Order: sequence, then C-alpha cells, then structure tokens
Amino acid sequence: MTRTILLALFLVTMLAGCATKENLIVLDKTADGTVGALQVSTDKGSQVLAESGTAVRIENRDTSPSPPAPITSEESQRLFADALQVHPLMPESFLLYFKLNSNELTDESQRLIATIVAAVQRRQSKDISVIGHTDRLGSDEHNRRLSMERAKVVYNLLSAASIAESDMTIIYHGEGNPLVPTADNVAEPRNRRVEVMVR
Amino acid sequence: MKKPLLASLLVLTLALLPFTMTSAASKSIGKVKGLRGLVSIQRNGKMKPAFPNDLIYQSDVILTGSDGAIGILLDDNTLISMGPISRVAMDKFAFEPATNEYAMRLKMQHGTFVYQSGLLGKLAPHAVELETPVGRISMLKEDTSFRAKIAE
Repeated sequence: MTRTILLALFLVTMLAGCATKENLIVLDKTADGTVGALQVSTDKGSQVLAESGTAVRIENRDTSPSPPAPITSEESQRLFADALQVHPLMPESFLLYFKLNSNELTDESQRLIATIVAAVQRRQSKDISVIGHTDRLGSDEHNRRLSMERAKVVYNLLSAASIAESDMTIIYHGEGNPLVPTADNVAEPRNRRVEVMVR
Repeated sequence: MKKPLLASLLVLTLALLPFTMTSAASKSIGKVKGLRGLVSIQRNGKMKPAFPNDLIYQSDVILTGSDGAIGILLDDNTLISMGPISRVAMDKFAFEPATNEYAMRLKMQHGTFVYQSGLLGKLAPHAVELETPVGRISMLKEDTSFRAKIAE
C-alpha cells in the first residue's frame, strides 16, 4: 500500500519535472520589425525557424527538436517578461557629411545636430561615440588628421549643445573604413563623414 | 654562463606571460545597460555584483538571482538580456572591423534569454556561435532576434 503511494508520488514528481524541464526557442521580430531565421540543432537533428511567433521545443540534446509551432504572444510575453523589461534599446547611428577636403559640415548635416541631442536626451545616453572618416583623396597621413579634425568639430558642436564631454568618445579611422569602397585618390562625398553612435 | 642566462630569460618570459595574457583579455566587450535585482559577474574566479554601465569582458560568466535581470549591449550592438536564475558564459568575443577579426561564442547555460543580433551577424554570421546545453542555435539571416528558455 505504502509502496503504491510512493510509486504514485514518484510518477507525479517525474511528470512535474518533465513539464518544467522544457527548452523552448521562439523566433521574434527584430528591432527593425523584420523577421530573421535561425536553425536549432541537437545531436539528433535540426529545425529551421523562419516565421515570427513560432517556436521549437527541445527535450534534450539526444532528441530531435520539435517542428516549429505557433506560440501565443501572451505565453511568450509571460515567459520572457523579466528579460524584456531590461532589454537594451538598439543603438542609434547618425551620419554627418563634410564639404570636400574640409572640416566644415554640409548645411543639412549641421541641422542634424539637434536631432542627435534629442536622441541622447530621450535615451538618457551616457555612451556616445564620435567616429571620423574621410574619402581616399590625399595621403593616409593627411586623411587620418582630417578625420580627427572632423570628429573634433562634431564633438565640439555636441558639447556646445549641452552633451557632457565625459559621455563622449572620439575615434578616427582616416580613409581606412569607407562607407563606399573606392580606389585610392578618388573623391567620394559619402565617405567624408562623421558617425555619431548613441548607445 | 650561457645556460643561466637562458634559464633566467625563460623564467622572465613565463613570469610575464600571465600579464600579457591579462592585458590582451582586458579589452571590454560590452556594457550593462539594464539591471534589476541581484546579478553577479564571475571574472577570473571571483564573483562581484553587477551595476548599470559596468563593463563586460571576455570569459565573464553572468548569473542572475531569483529576482535578478540584466540587459547587455555588446560592442557590435548585439543585445542580450536574461531573466531570473539565468546564466550565460561570454566565452569568446572579437569585433575588429579594421583588422577583420570577428568571433563570438556565448553559452546560454540556463534561464530565459532575449537576443537581438548585431553587426557580427551582418559582417560575419558564421563567426557567431550560440550554444545551449540542449543544442546549438545558428543564424540563417543577417538580422535575427529570438527568445530562448533553457531549463536543463
């Protein structure tokens, strides 16, 4: 009699244990609202997830993952609420352009400064990178200096617009990291830029 | 006379080795952006509590308590957050576009995770290795976001 009760208790515990021991992977929309794709592989097989709101479940690595099946957004929200609450915002990046061989901003980019300041305030960001670049016209050395001067111009403008200097980092890449790859000594306005990354 | 010199050079090299290794590993790979409750970082065998804006380093293991949650921004803009009683090991991370060095290996050991791929996913998707005790997650598209609950 006691034995039957013990066995029953054991089975209940086992079942409860199985229910909580479930592993689950859910495909989600990206920060841009698009949908990516991924593959889940165990030692016994793999499944592809390519639709948002679908999930694969895995018992352990010696079994195949289940085929993708929809999961309600309520369940997904409930399971991941704590992680979602502290999930960081995707950093925002702004590109400012310069006149040819100059550290003077184009008029349009001049106006972007206010937008950047607003983004910093909205996110309460203390982590802003100001990254200078040039095109490939002129020597490496000249372009390194020019990219630094360009980054400094933007740094000073942001500082004048009340962004704390201690929250900003200046980085400069010269002509080494073009947005649009070109041959050496080619003028390319899209590469004469400073990127401001607000994180 | 030659031998002691060689020997002392060897000793010197061995003595300096840990420092060189530490300095190579001492570049941060990300930052704590969101935090709630108790979260610990295990680094070089020691545990320390995590605070907002703390830097994350390669080989860190991050653990959340029963009321803890943490959101991390990696240097390539990968976002990873975890809920309570979760554990992740930041085994490997390199994001150096200037020298074309890309690597990432994260072990999501247990708990709940929300993941949004960053620039590594765009520039070097095959360099991204996401391991769990029950299997591997590989990105098939440049920009992918998922949630994972690992019970094992």
